[in-house]
Amino acid sequence: MQIFPRELNYLPLALAVVAGGLGTGVFVLFWVFFAPTNLQVGYTPNQPVEYSHRLHAGELGLDCRYCHSQVERSHEAMVPPTQTCMGCHALVHTESEKLSVVRESWETNESIPWVRVNQIPDHAYFNHSVHLAGGVGCVSCHGRIDQMEVVGIVEPLAMQWCLNCHRNPEAHIRPKDEVTNMAWEPDEAWLAQRAEVAAELNPPMQCSGCHR
Amino acid sequence: MWRSLDDKARSAEELNRLAEEEQPGGFMGDLVEPSTLVSRRAILKGSSIAALAAGLQGCLRRPEDIIFPYSKAPENLIPGIPSHFATVTARGRDALGVVATSHDGRPTKIEGNTAFPTSLGATDVRGQLYVWDLYDPDRSKSPAKREGGALKDATSDEFDEAFEGLAKKHAADQGAGLRLLAPISNSPSFRAMRDKVQAKFPKSKFHTYSPVNDDNAREGARMALQGKATPPLYDHSKSLVTLSFGSDFLGKESGSVAAARRFAMTRAIAEPDQPMNRLYVIESNFTVTGSMADHRLRSPQSDIEWYAKMLVIGLAGRGVDNLGALAKVLQADLDPSELQGLELEWLLGAAADLLANKGRCIVLAGASQPPRVHALVNAINGALGNFGRTTFFGPEVDADEAASVESIASLASDSEGMSTLVIIGGNPVYDAPADVDFARLLAREGLTSVHLSDHRNETTLACSWHAPLAHELEAWGDQQSQDGAVAVQQPLIAPLYGGRSAIEFLAAFADEETTRGHDIVKATHADQVKKDTKALLGLGAPDKDTSPESVWRRSLHAGILFVPKGTKPPVALQGIIEAFAEKKPRTLVSATNLEVSFEPDNGLWDGQHANNLWALELPSPMTKIVWDNAAIMSPATRDALELENGQMVRLKVGDRQVEVPVWPLPGHADNCITLTLGWGRTAAGRYGNGKGFDVNPLRTSDGMGFANGVKAEALPESYNLVQTQTHDRMEGRPIAIDATLEEYKEEPDFASYRSVEPVSTPPLWKQQDYSEGYQWGMTIDLASCSGCNACVVACQAENTIPSVGKIEVERGREMHWLRIDRYFVGDDQDSPQVAVQPVGCQQCEEAPCENVCPVNATVHSPEGLNDMVYNRCVGTRYCANNCPYKVRRFNYLDWQGHLDDKWAFYGDFPESRKLQFNPNVTVRMRGVMEKCTYCVQRIQEAKIAANREDRTIRDGEVTTACQQACPSGAITFGNLNDPNARVTKLKAINRQYQLLAEIGTRPRTTFLARVRNPNPKLEGKGS
Repeated sequence: MQIFPRELNYLPLALAVVAGGLGTGVFVLFWVFFAPTNLQVGYTPNQPVEYSHRLHAGELGLDCRYCHSQVERSHEAMVPPTQTCMGCHALVHTESEKLSVVRESWETNESIPWVRVNQIPDHAYFNHSVHLAGGVGCVSCHGRIDQMEVVGIVEPLAMQWCLNCHRNPEAHIRPKDEVTNMAWEPDEAWLAQRAEVAAELNPPMQCSGCHR
Repeated sequence: MWRSLDDKARSAEELNRLAEEEQPGGFMGDLVEPSTLVSRRAILKGSSIAALAAGLQGCLRRPEDIIFPYSKAPENLIPGIPSHFATVTARGRDALGVVATSHDGRPTKIEGNTAFPTSLGATDVRGQLYVWDLYDPDRSKSPAKREGGALKDATSDEFDEAFEGLAKKHAADQGAGLRLLAPISNSPSFRAMRDKVQAKFPKSKFHTYSPVNDDNAREGARMALQGKATPPLYDHSKSLVTLSFGSDFLGKESGSVAAARRFAMTRAIAEPDQPMNRLYVIESNFTVTGSMADHRLRSPQSDIEWYAKMLVIGLAGRGVDNLGALAKVLQADLDPSELQGLELEWLLGAAADLLANKGRCIVLAGASQPPRVHALVNAINGALGNFGRTTFFGPEVDADEAASVESIASLASDSEGMSTLVIIGGNPVYDAPADVDFARLLAREGLTSVHLSDHRNETTLACSWHAPLAHELEAWGDQQSQDGAVAVQQPLIAPLYGGRSAIEFLAAFADEETTRGHDIVKATHADQVKKDTKALLGLGAPDKDTSPESVWRRSLHAGILFVPKGTKPPVALQGIIEAFAEKKPRTLVSATNLEVSFEPDNGLWDGQHANNLWALELPSPMTKIVWDNAAIMSPATRDALELENGQMVRLKVGDRQVEVPVWPLPGHADNCITLTLGWGRTAAGRYGNGKGFDVNPLRTSDGMGFANGVKAEALPESYNLVQTQTHDRMEGRPIAIDATLEEYKEEPDFASYRSVEPVSTPPLWKQQDYSEGYQWGMTIDLASCSGCNACVVACQAENTIPSVGKIEVERGREMHWLRIDRYFVGDDQDSPQVAVQPVGCQQCEEAPCENVCPVNATVHSPEGLNDMVYNRCVGTRYCANNCPYKVRRFNYLDWQGHLDDKWAFYGDFPESRKLQFNPNVTVRMRGVMEKCTYCVQRIQEAKIAANREDRTIRDGEVTTACQQACPSGAITFGNLNDPNARVTKLKAINRQYQLLAEIGTRPRTTFLARVRNPNPKLEGKGS
């Protein structure tokens, strides 16, 4: 006598399929959704000051280095001191409500608590200055900052992403005087010479290049 | 070649067995678990939870991070770019010019100042150590006052009120009853403020006391140089024969950094026919200077005076007429029976050598030798025509200052009517001579005592008031070295705990107009410039502005104001003859009449660095003992006293006694015992308290250097002394190779001949092409390395290497990336020679470690570096097992405070210590392997700087931390593909060899074999 219906013979198979499906699901979940591309990209924290890069860097056309002044010298691009803001805003929009935090910082000598957007792990050592010296544009990693009202992450900043460029820098470099130009597009002359320029670069691919 | 006495006694099979048992960095014996540790089970449980948590955390959005930029940015400060400040650090009456590195406002590393004559770009061990003291978590953090028998925290206002009250009180009685005590100072501003205090309180008395000092040399100079208290300074680069009467001039004497550099110039020869110095040393303890000697004579300290006298007589008898009158006096009351046991033939051999090199030789005496010996040495150098050639004299400073011992004794004996005692720094309760009962002095009824001190030490705890003293890196000051060079001491950081400097306290006490350190120093500076504009070194050239402000700025930048020219005082034998008028019979040491010598510790010094973790874990250069001191004696004396290694012994002179464990050192003088100062502190701090043994109770006013008539009594207890020496053995192979100059002349390529032919093993992986780009390599010259340990601490400071504690060192878990191996050479167990060899990662081109890593955590870079990737490391330790040089270090525990308290070895990890960490180096956590990286962070920084400027790295632009610190200049680093690089040229010298060449690892670090220069006429005498 059959206690269990015949259909139950398919149960192990069904379970296997379900388990396999679930497993794949979890795998895909981690692989795709928990990858830096998904976790990092798009992170756009609120800042203490409603500062618009679109307005300053885009419309007004300020060069990146006006505020991030040490980017060519230091590993840090440097978030500017309040002093830099007040250089203009001591004269421009002196009464603006949006600038109250800035004025307060200037008067009290306290820092403005900016929220970090781009962050790499402690064991990786990134240096802004050498990338600029090599002709990597700001836009390559930071995206069209000049079109962002609030700055967020546009690239995954993962090791593989770094290495893709280090292995093949040719597509990512530009003339050194164009590094802060957000809208730059390669012209014929550059396309003709860039392979040669890239060959000189030798970006490190050994571990100690970035991990010390 | 044997590593220790135990080794020598063991049979070959036993040694092999031991070598096999010894796992790299992990000898697990029956050791007591420290109470702070948890069980293995708990660790497994915890680590799985931690792994799970870490895994989850990695998937979630990381926590929000805030950036705090300046509101108003300081001028010339670039975030992320370290700044360098030229400053100076005190060495008693001497000073060491240094350059301090500051990362975003935190001083993190000290280097030597090339422009400063006592540094020449290098530092000693203490120069590296003192940045740690700034972040010492046990520094005093507030003023304190005595209330109800105990010291309680007080506010700065309370202290200031009391301090001003004392000043007012004594202003009324002109300072009668006021006494001040400070350590010996080398600061012109300090002297200026001291004079102001004395002018304001004319009846007060100012005393000085430092437990380790050059007073004997000063007094000796007074005798010989017509009353001028200027100790001699030597230029070793010009000396072809050097005879040391117990002077550790490459180790612990004043001026050792420059001495080591200059000495190395005459020792590290590139060709066999170059002139080479010959060093004779007579000493009791086996010092690093002794290890460099070509002829070393072990002798009790008390006999050294007799050798010096006999040298005078011997030289006078061989035609040095200038010494005739003195020799006559010395000879007059000489009883030949007193010369029994002295190795006079050895001495005459040295004398003949000196005579053959008049004007190109140096005779020098150790700091613990009595003034009479220093006087003789001055007379000898003068008579041999060395003055102005190899021997120089600086300016006379504080001429009428009494010697430390007399000064503190008079403070204690002449204390009638003393109502206030202000102690500026120091720790006299711990380190005053044993016959001066300083604690009782402080306990006097009605005495108000004030101790200004960086720590609340033994002295502070006995005083009625205390205020914190600023660290040298926190306060303005100025210092003068013995040759007269002056440098301004610049602060790099505001006082962490509100401390003030000694000059600021004194200015406040004297009620000066300004009490700001900066203004006081600037005023002194301007005075000096006015007095001596001509002497301004390079700063006052005619075309330059000599206004005080301009000179001030330039001297701040250069780290040096001026070096007055050395003087050449005439020798007057009369003073010396008077000193020898009183006849002192020779003391003969024996097992029942022992001699003890006192030496400052290699790291702790007189105890001022007793809480310094780097100092505590620094192996003593000869014994390799860490975390303790011991009674060092010769093996023969140990046996004669029927003692065992580590057994406690009671040393007695009269009713004074100390109990110390015994440790044998081959080459130590028989019937003599060396004790190191600085240990056994009770109020040093959390790390230093109760470590080692306090030997000060045996050190009396008349025996500060050494004392005779000591009795030893064996005690039943034994004590566990821990060494780094018995680890990392490499027996029976050509490791530290040396040859005599004669042999070098016969076989210029003896190094490769004595070492093994480098073999070429077929590579396991694709062979790399090293002909292009930067190829980093290093040479270490064993002819100049003295094994002083400065590189070891420099490496620790640069690379954030933890100290792990005595128990962990015993387990073989010490973390030093660079170790200095010390080998005894020769068959004479009583008087062996010593070879030292610094060993860090050899950066093998065919690295055995890389082949066995299952996770590719250690891989080769195209520049020839053996990269270590901490983040990939899973801690299998295969690499350490496979490393033939045993240079890999594993983080068995969490040393750097990553995890919560119970995981850390020392309980909680103080935040202040993290401020010292080098931001350019990853802080490694538990379970990760690490090793020397050739300071890859410095290589990368230099590459980036070169890239920015579109050029290649220049030779000398990248220096490793060990290379930079090395006083002897023994380490050279650079690009092997650059034919003009110094390292490439040194690699071409024929003394070069590879360590363990027979296994085909092709190391990038190579050694230059040592050359000894023994006197052929002295074969078989002494060693």
